[in-house]
Amino acid sequence: MSIKDKYAFVGLGLTQQGKIPAMSPDDLATQAILLALADAGMRKDEVDGYIYQQGIGGGPNGVTPMLRAGIPVKHCWEMQSGGSNCLSIVMAAVGALEAGLCQVCVIVHATSASSQGVLVGRPGERSYGIEGVYGAYAPGVHGAWLAQRYMHLYGLTREQLGSVAVTFREYANKRPEAVMYGRTMTMDDYLNARMVIEPLCLFDFCLVNDGAVALVITSAERAKEYRKPPVYIMGYGSDHSIRELGRSPQAYLHWDGFVTQKAGEGAFRMAGVTLADVDVAQLYDAFTPFVLSQLESYGVCGRGEAGAFVEAGNLKLDGAFPCNTSGTELSWSYLQGFSHLTEGVRQLRNEAGECQVRDAEICMVTGLGPPRPGSLANCCILRR
Amino acid sequence: MTEYAKQLPVITSSDKPFWDAARRHELLAYRCLSCGTFYSQVTQCLACDSPRMDWVRVSGKGFVYTFAVYHQLYHPAWAKDIPYNVAWIKLDEGPLLLSNVIGCPNDEITVGLRVEVVFDDVTDEVTLPRFRPSAAKTD
Repeated sequence: MSIKDKYAFVGLGLTQQGKIPAMSPDDLATQAILLALADAGMRKDEVDGYIYQQGIGGGPNGVTPMLRAGIPVKHCWEMQSGGSNCLSIVMAAVGALEAGLCQVCVIVHATSASSQGVLVGRPGERSYGIEGVYGAYAPGVHGAWLAQRYMHLYGLTREQLGSVAVTFREYANKRPEAVMYGRTMTMDDYLNARMVIEPLCLFDFCLVNDGAVALVITSAERAKEYRKPPVYIMGYGSDHSIRELGRSPQAYLHWDGFVTQKAGEGAFRMAGVTLADVDVAQLYDAFTPFVLSQLESYGVCGRGEAGAFVEAGNLKLDGAFPCNTSGTELSWSYLQGFSHLTEGVRQLRNEAGECQVRDAEICMVTGLGPPRPGSLANCCILRR
Repeated sequence: MTEYAKQLPVITSSDKPFWDAARRHELLAYRCLSCGTFYSQVTQCLACDSPRMDWVRVSGKGFVYTFAVYHQLYHPAWAKDIPYNVAWIKLDEGPLLLSNVIGCPNDEITVGLRVEVVFDDVTDEVTLPRFRPSAAKTD
């Protein structure tokens, strides 16, 4: 049974992004939920489902945002699995709708990581096991190991990694709500930035900031009743590197070890389209090497070609594969996978401002992250 | 000996043989006894489905598969080590081990560098395998 085109996003609510010390994650989430309902032109009593994700450093306290917003939902879940989680939440919402558990589901991500002064990777944040024994703290080290290996195999340069960061920064500079709006970055700025986990420097790492977003999902039939043009879920696929784990304790060490192949195949098969039909993409970008890896493992370019592909400008608006058009996690706002879903929906609503891909009809959105060990890859195809 | 302030491995029943051997300065890896494939942590061979798995002694020789150098401090006990490296070592028998390369400056570490195990007795109870550049250029 396919869920192709059966469900759609009808509302999107985005708070301010950046440093917002006056607001708790509950405050931010409540505001995002009310903005999403206003965006859809939806009454509160129509919402009966709620699924939320904890952000870095904590998030909503259970149903508190729904309580504050005055929305008596009957169905709710907390889900948490980092960078893959947003699209897993989308599928959980679709499953809840499909099963009749709810008719309208609000999904939420909220964080006040910046105001809390979170250093992602500090000991105690989570269990580090053998990694901590050898000093391998912080998720960014996985990007550093990937980049180091890739540099050796294919001659990847720092300028090529930097071209990911600079390209996405240029997008964010055109988006007034972006954390990095007004803060330009040249390749020299990138090359002169301090090293964090070599070969990755500060600008290879995603942002840490405060903010929240809420999206509303319902059936395609019902979606037509609301104010905004629906954005339909065409296809979805996922894949986990578990079958690679026998060969190494951390499968994402392999350059192609994200094992996104089945995620892409599943998503495009369900959607009935191919990569060539994708007008714009939002690839999970917690660290710059993840973008290169996904470009290759989803088949956008061949093995070892991603660095040159990005350096040639192919991820820009006039390039072959416009990508991460808000600046996403690296330069727009770190809402984990919700950064990418948000921009995907905005592109297909023609709401991406100066970064709008003209006549965008189909958008590919990806997620990447736990459950560990290894990594879960999620791929979702959206259409307007 | 000053108290060891860094994180120690949490030794479980599944990897106790590895840490016991390290205290004896022997390196073990987990292997399928039917087809010979090496693993980190599985109880059934993913290649041939055999349940016959056990720890076997390996040479301790291999090469740097990839590595990263920490300039940012995350755990205070590593402050004096900054910048320090964390490397994946591919043993000649096949498996990958997480460790540190010691005995050479970080800027002399390369992917492919030949290394050999050294045993670092960090406490009376725990010995950590680390790796240093091989004495011989080829071995």
